[in-house]
Amino acid sequence: MTAPRSVVFVAPRLGGEGAAGGAETLIRALAEKAAEAGLDTALYTTCAVDHFTWANERPPGERRIGRLPIHFFPVDSGRNIPRFLQAQERLFRGCRSPDDEATWLKESVCSRALLEALRQRSWDRIVVGPYLFGLTVAIGREFPDRTILLPCLHDEPFARLSVFRSVFQSVAGLIFNSAPEQRLAARLYGIPLGKGRVVGMGLDPFDADPAAFAVRHGITQPYLIYSGRREPMKGTPLLLDYLAAFRSRTGRDIRLVLTGSGDPAIPPSLQGYVLDLGFVSEAVKREAMAGAAVFCHPSLYESFSIVLMESWMAGTPALVRASCEVLREHCEHSGGGLWFRHYPDFEECLLRLLDSAELRRAMGLTGREYVRREYAWPVIVGRLMEALAAFGP
Amino acid sequence: MSLNVHIGAEGINVAALMDEIRQTVARKMADGVYQDVRVAAAERTNLSQIADQDQFFALYLASLREMAAIDINDFPITERRRFLAPLLIRLKTLIWNLLKFYTYRLWSQQNQVNALFLALIEELDGKYRRRIEALEARIRELESRPREQGS
Repeated sequence: MTAPRSVVFVAPRLGGEGAAGGAETLIRALAEKAAEAGLDTALYTTCAVDHFTWANERPPGERRIGRLPIHFFPVDSGRNIPRFLQAQERLFRGCRSPDDEATWLKESVCSRALLEALRQRSWDRIVVGPYLFGLTVAIGREFPDRTILLPCLHDEPFARLSVFRSVFQSVAGLIFNSAPEQRLAARLYGIPLGKGRVVGMGLDPFDADPAAFAVRHGITQPYLIYSGRREPMKGTPLLLDYLAAFRSRTGRDIRLVLTGSGDPAIPPSLQGYVLDLGFVSEAVKREAMAGAAVFCHPSLYESFSIVLMESWMAGTPALVRASCEVLREHCEHSGGGLWFRHYPDFEECLLRLLDSAELRRAMGLTGREYVRREYAWPVIVGRLMEALAAFGP
Repeated sequence: MSLNVHIGAEGINVAALMDEIRQTVARKMADGVYQDVRVAAAERTNLSQIADQDQFFALYLASLREMAAIDINDFPITERRRFLAPLLIRLKTLIWNLLKFYTYRLWSQQNQVNALFLALIEELDGKYRRRIEALEARIRELESRPREQGS
């Protein structure tokens, strides 16, 4: 196998803008770094912005950002969204049937125009992700010998669909975001360790004023922060329930700051104690993180967690779900966070952190050091180049 | 290329800290500190994760037992507006007493259903726990038998 000269990255939506998820942000960031490293690189994506409607909101065509040409292709029209959602709901509940799998795949997001563009030019490598899209499956099936799958895999019911087993097994290689994600792929699909590489995402160091956010919003009490999509899959209802119980049981006046997309249902007992900012700029998010007592990540489904790295870079310790192996392992390796199985753990961990500014400072610093050591861009680019060279025809 | 992750950052031993926290939690759990309806309510979205933790699941069921019987008299009737507050409270109390008179039967039935479901869950939990214990004892017994020649 030889090092590739050209590589195209494919994501269902353009990352790094608006409501795009972490996977799309990661793929765009890796594409930009590959272009900066001198590879002939492009990013193919769809014209969609909203991940509920998948309407073609952007014009098709090419746009260049820095060194990276980005090609936009329309999402296929004629999807039967109600049928897709019905099948998805049944599959999520673990009711797997071949019919539902076929319906889900047929009605999932795809782009014939994007596939045609891949046929027109013979890229040395196609890096595509995340795994849970018809577009990803179609590319994996049509160009298996050149495709490197970047799955962003979670331990969720969809991961057990038979279609993904065949795609994971047939592609040339896999890029994982973390070692637990790689182990999950080995458990679910029997993927040998040698067929994958752990790359992750780099973070540029930043400094943020820890006092600025609280002063601007008139917050005088200590606060927790969560950033990201606010939805059941990410555990935000659990965080709100736990915080309500914590405030009521301990009598501590601790607040919660939320940033990101989604509409969290704030329980009546927390009205006035949760500051929901929705989308904020990177600078505001970093200041909010830097000023927080603790960054709490209640999600079970993570393959990397960019926001956890950002909170550590901001010098803030973390509190994460023990059942999420990825988050827990980051905390174990870094020393920058604690983890909880249930409410009693949550209460005890939070009390420890709130009661010791010294512990919070030390854990924040060790978390920051971990990100700077393990997820500096030069380290990540090195891992990416090695993975691109390792898998291919 | 392998990931050379440096485990155990200097100065912070989170594994030891977590061990200590878990010991504290286990002690408090044994002392009944978490036997609280607020804890049970907070776990409503975490049931799939706690079901395999025996000590906490038993505590969860105990907390649920406190929640199962709904007391329709367990909240004070208040009035935020200071103007005519005593009169408004009397009016609200009167309306509530009327409502209570007509809905008491429904509440009572709901309490019975809650109690039945809870009893069923406890029974199932106990039944499967006993079955698992019996199977584990059987496995231990089989494993302790000397292996037969040639098997």
